[in-house]
Amino acid sequence: MSATNAYDAIIVGGGHNGLINAAYLARAGLRTVVLERRHLVGGAAVTEEIFPGFKYSVASYVVSLLRPEIIRDLRLARHGLEILPLESTVTPLPNGDYLGRWADHDQTRRDLYRHSPKDAEAYDDFATLMYRLAWAVKPLLGIVPPDPLSPGLRDLKTLLMLGRHARSLDEQQFHALFKLGTMSAADYLDEWFESDPLKATMSASGIIGTFLGPRSPGTAYVLLHHYMGEIDGVFRAWGFARGGNGMVSESIASSARSHGAEIRTGATVERVLTTNGRATGVVLEDGEELTAKTVVSGVDPKRTFLGLLDPEELPEDLVEAIRRFRIRGSSGKVNLSLSEAPEFSCLPGGGPHLRGAFSISPSMDYLERAYDDAKYGGFSRRPYMDIVIPSMIDPGMAPPGRHVMSIFVQYAAFDLKSGWDDAKREAFGDAVVDTLSEYVPNLKGAILHRQVLTPLDMQEQLGLTEGNIFHGELTPQQLFFFRPSPAWADYRTPVRGFYQCGSGTHPGGGVCGASGRLAALEILRDLRRRPRGRP
Amino acid sequence: MSGCDAVVIGAGHNGLIAAAYLARAGLRVVVVERGETPGGCAATEELWPGYRVDTGAHSLTGIDARVMADLDLAGAGPTPGGAGSKGAGLEIMSSDPCVVAPQPEGGALVLERDPARTAESIRRFSPRDAARWPDFVSAMARASRVLSVLYDTLPPRLAGADRGDLWELLRLGARMGRVGRRDALELMRLIPMTVEELLWEWFESEALKGALAADGVRGICQGPLASGTGYMFLHHMVGAAGVVRRRRQVRGGMGKLGAALQRVAVAAGAEVRLGHEVASIRVEDGRATGVVLAGGDEVAAPRVVSSADPGRTLLGLVDPGELAPEFVRALENIKYRGVVAKVHLALGEPPRLPSGGDAAQAAVLAGAAITVAPSIHYIERAYDDAKYGRPSERPVLDAVLTTALDPSLAPKGHHVLSVAAQYAPFQLADGSWDEARREALGAAVVETLAEHIPRLEGAILHRHVLTPADLADRFALPEGNIHHGEMTLDQVFFGRPVAGWARYRTPIDGLYLCGAGTHPGGGLNGRPGAAAAARVLRDEKRRQD
Repeated sequence: MSATNAYDAIIVGGGHNGLINAAYLARAGLRTVVLERRHLVGGAAVTEEIFPGFKYSVASYVVSLLRPEIIRDLRLARHGLEILPLESTVTPLPNGDYLGRWADHDQTRRDLYRHSPKDAEAYDDFATLMYRLAWAVKPLLGIVPPDPLSPGLRDLKTLLMLGRHARSLDEQQFHALFKLGTMSAADYLDEWFESDPLKATMSASGIIGTFLGPRSPGTAYVLLHHYMGEIDGVFRAWGFARGGNGMVSESIASSARSHGAEIRTGATVERVLTTNGRATGVVLEDGEELTAKTVVSGVDPKRTFLGLLDPEELPEDLVEAIRRFRIRGSSGKVNLSLSEAPEFSCLPGGGPHLRGAFSISPSMDYLERAYDDAKYGGFSRRPYMDIVIPSMIDPGMAPPGRHVMSIFVQYAAFDLKSGWDDAKREAFGDAVVDTLSEYVPNLKGAILHRQVLTPLDMQEQLGLTEGNIFHGELTPQQLFFFRPSPAWADYRTPVRGFYQCGSGTHPGGGVCGASGRLAALEILRDLRRRPRGRP
Repeated sequence: MSGCDAVVIGAGHNGLIAAAYLARAGLRVVVVERGETPGGCAATEELWPGYRVDTGAHSLTGIDARVMADLDLAGAGPTPGGAGSKGAGLEIMSSDPCVVAPQPEGGALVLERDPARTAESIRRFSPRDAARWPDFVSAMARASRVLSVLYDTLPPRLAGADRGDLWELLRLGARMGRVGRRDALELMRLIPMTVEELLWEWFESEALKGALAADGVRGICQGPLASGTGYMFLHHMVGAAGVVRRRRQVRGGMGKLGAALQRVAVAAGAEVRLGHEVASIRVEDGRATGVVLAGGDEVAAPRVVSSADPGRTLLGLVDPGELAPEFVRALENIKYRGVVAKVHLALGEPPRLPSGGDAAQAAVLAGAAITVAPSIHYIERAYDDAKYGRPSERPVLDAVLTTALDPSLAPKGHHVLSVAAQYAPFQLADGSWDEARREALGAAVVETLAEHIPRLEGAILHRHVLTPADLADRFALPEGNIHHGEMTLDQVFFGRPVAGWARYRTPIDGLYLCGAGTHPGGGLNGRPGAAAAARVLRDEKRRQD
């Protein structure tokens, strides 16, 4: 083994969390290497030119939850991250009308008023409450979950801090939080609004990435996420990265490299090497060995504990807990190259709405039926879709005059009853295009290329087990100190020197990056290094 | 106008239990009940001459053991001579096997009290599941033991907690810790689960998962894929002495429960006035001062304890002007959404399950509940109908042959089959419940049962159907909800009946709630009634100090 293969820290998987972890470790002076299986870094946050001239944000396609401290610490703006605002969400309706929510508050109000004067009134109160609640929950994103079984002094301090924080909420906020944590999005919204398209579109944010319908309890909590997005300190803004979501990853990788981290693509890690319960390095698929006292996994818990390690090395109850960790995928992605701009029949012609998002969620029953189709092992015949047209926001994404369209689709079962194959994938793509064509008459004629990703494709191509975009379902029993398992929710593992930093750890989900950062801080704590840069 | 120390509204089991505790503490108590018999949902009616039918609840897991002991409910009752002990003479009968679940492709699963024998039955469906069954039973028993600690505790006040609240919270923590920190944590993990997830962790057999999941959706307008149905499953384990899907009934019919409780309350000095409906609760200066009856009579009392559901009590009987708008809004937002219907059949012969073999038939004759819920997806599909406002085409059924354990309930050789059917939504998408829909529901239930009991239709002598709307009228159940409010996670613990008011008090001084709409909810366990009485007495003591 050559000395060049000796590192202080090896990060398995170059997704955004792995890269963030590497950047923080390198910044603290560790000789760090990131090993990525694919030919490019980013994991699910990649931009790829699948068809010449057309750049797709293949999987993840918007930025909202990326932690501002990460953007600051890693100077991502200097490394090429530019977030362009995504200012509206339009829900086209089958009757030719639409419901729009815009950056301009008055315009939103006018639009809502058209559907329901009562809802237009309630909307502001709702937003105010949700905004406050989002602030209340936010500190959770920045703390290491305590160990509930044998809490140490530090865990008790965390709990005390949380307790004090909880007491700062007033009664109404507290009760609203309790409800958000337990109710269905539909029931929660029913308490506020009457307009079906509004409730459906809002509850859509509660079902993204879950295998639940809007009437399933547990979906209300995700409503908060929309209000938690934070870009450059601007609360509530969703955005689009110039150059596609791959630029988020690229900018982090660039920052990591600037601190001395090495990034190797085309390097598939076969296994983590251990000696006497201590990580000593990794072995690659081709047999090459790399050594390091610190090994960090950015892949999902199933792969981390059951793939990279020999389960024999782990306590039986942890292996059991990881086996039952629920990770069913429910979504797919369709990316289109278009010869002309799509025209929505509800808002004909061009206009600022094309630089926003479109939500195919005309009614609560529509979403429920989409869920019904999938829950018995199928895919939605008429799916829920969240659509953006990146080339409208960033013309560099497609050749002049042409466009790319990014369609997030739900629901599709990972374990399709008769199994996914090429024909099923195309049928799934057809369901998406056919449904969308009802609202965009010129769509079919404009399609030059089509890329369809089923949940199985997301597993095979992106390494997401069962195609779950969050590395594990975001249900209460899989959050905080349960993520991925009690006692091992602090980014450590029973193998000393081996850590986890992926979305399968707290707080998980979305391109948030908190897992990668918190894991790095814990590692540095164990190594007793200061998190700030080299002296 | 008469006066007393406390008026209890409603002589359901919780109202009578509260009355008994209050009377024992020396309060002069008057119970006012609109019906002619005590017991509320624990009702036995002679629907046809010689057939006594449990028209409301037909099964009980168990009245809380402490209530049983405190009120000496199981003690020998009055003898025909008039003398005898002070006990209530309540006789609770248990069936073993507990459940028989016939399967569409033939065969039947039989759940018995003895885990080893149940495992034998499960083995035919899955040897792996059979091997896991004993561990599952003990895991659920442990979880329900921790849950029962929570059930014995006033839900802590979290918002605006003062030092006393924090002290309570610490004590609760200590009690949970004594049961076992690991078990407490495990319960925390289980509570938000779907019952499908909970069972998926253990089993592969659809027959087994379906039979168990039926308990997780009971009375909830959600399917087994909904968060919180895991909790509902555990709720049924509390007080079940570690028996999964325990089934018990009262000798002489469930109505005897009400009669026994009335006897206990009266023996303690309470007065029970049947056939009197409360028209309103009188409030003066924010304090309850008594009730006004439908006839105009008043019963004055400084405390009013209502076992009616929260909405009926506070929005129906109290002048809304007495309550803050936010509180009214919270009450209006309580989800009831009844989904259970009852079908009662008088049979000329016992039901025969030919495909289940001897064991299944023996189970039926031993009084096991016949559960038709052959898979998780079967239940979910039944729910899909209700989700869009239609009764299930193929409902989930829990059919109890009450005459198996207690032949006195029907003429010799005849039987009563009491069926709880789910899902029948109170609120229909097209119109409301009427005669035609009632009959269609009855037909769907019989047809579904007949798939497993081929000779059923020929054996039916009488049929009686109660839709959720009928249950609402007959038993004063809000929207027909058997638990006085859906027991989804947002409506239990701190959230029962509404967040901030989970401790039996109401914003009106002296007005308390003691029904199933309060912590820890429904299911004929008697805990809300007992806990509310304790609350009243503690407040009384504080007032005197």
